[in-house]
Amino acid sequence: MFGFGRKYDNPALIAEINETQQRWFAFLDKLEARVGEMCAAAIPELKTVFAQDKDPYKRAHGHLLSGLQGQLSLIRTKANDAREEKINGLIYAAEGVIPPITSAEGSKYHQLLHTFRMACFNRHHIFEEKLHVAMEKLQAAAGERDLETAYREQLEAFEAIKDKFNCQQCGGNITIPKMFFIATYVSCPFCQTQNTFLPSTGAQMVLHDARALAEQRTAHLRQLAERTQPRNPDLHRQYYRAMINEWNKIVPDMAGENEKFYERLLKDIGHY
Amino acid sequence: MSDEEKKRAQSYLEKLKQTALQQQHYGGEIKQTPASMDARDCPNCGAGRAFRHGLTSCAYCGFVFMDTTLTDGIYIKKENNSK
Repeated sequence: MFGFGRKYDNPALIAEINETQQRWFAFLDKLEARVGEMCAAAIPELKTVFAQDKDPYKRAHGHLLSGLQGQLSLIRTKANDAREEKINGLIYAAEGVIPPITSAEGSKYHQLLHTFRMACFNRHHIFEEKLHVAMEKLQAAAGERDLETAYREQLEAFEAIKDKFNCQQCGGNITIPKMFFIATYVSCPFCQTQNTFLPSTGAQMVLHDARALAEQRTAHLRQLAERTQPRNPDLHRQYYRAMINEWNKIVPDMAGENEKFYERLLKDIGHY
Repeated sequence: MSDEEKKRAQSYLEKLKQTALQQQHYGGEIKQTPASMDARDCPNCGAGRAFRHGLTSCAYCGFVFMDTTLTDGIYIKKENNSK
């Protein structure tokens, strides 16, 4: 009456599991091929756009990179949706029809489902790792800007112009005492008029790029801190201190603000 | 990947590149301007803006340049409020 003693056999389910697994693997193979193809084509383009982009913030390159990252995110979403619908859907549906795990037949089918789930999820994990590598490749494709050269050029430019200003009130010669990165008052030594000195766009960009330049100078310490396993907070502290020191050297007037930022970075280390 | 799919990826990339290059930047293009010097004369007496007990009013005739109370910044400090 309850089917006691009747053996459970569901070859259709076994066939469906095998077919779904094969289709899932083939689907991810295709997506990986598409990711690989897109990266191979995009990396030279990213390099070209980065090199040709005259914008100091490299915004054209940023737009292109965002578009490509969006495409990769779309591919990731497709894989996630398919996993939810096809893999998880099949697992949930199958669990509803097969006998309980405590029975001999049920145990066999549950084992089958477990193997199927692990194979599919492992394959998906490999896909996610490949996608992550592709994302990193795209981000690193253009390389870093040569901020050191740009900074040296600005220092030289400042040395060349620092004595070439006159007071707007009395015409007396004004020497800019140090390199400024934002507008500031400079007193005329003759009539005491407060002249407003506005640095060039290039000099203003030094302030904007100062942290990135300090990070470039201390990149070896960051890599050491990031690659050391298990995580060593002392190496991170060492890197942050060196980076902030470099940052302060580039823009000494911002030292007070930078030190506050350093304190916050140290607090963040404690949160890990 | 078939040739057709390769072509599709290439054409998509080309479109994306064109869009990225033609897209208007928020805030417009950055203009490269050289360093410059400027000064504000007192509209009341014509004297140059000199520092005397602060910067917010004219050192000579007391004309008030700005009503704002200055706070500590990178170069501007609280001491620059005229007393």
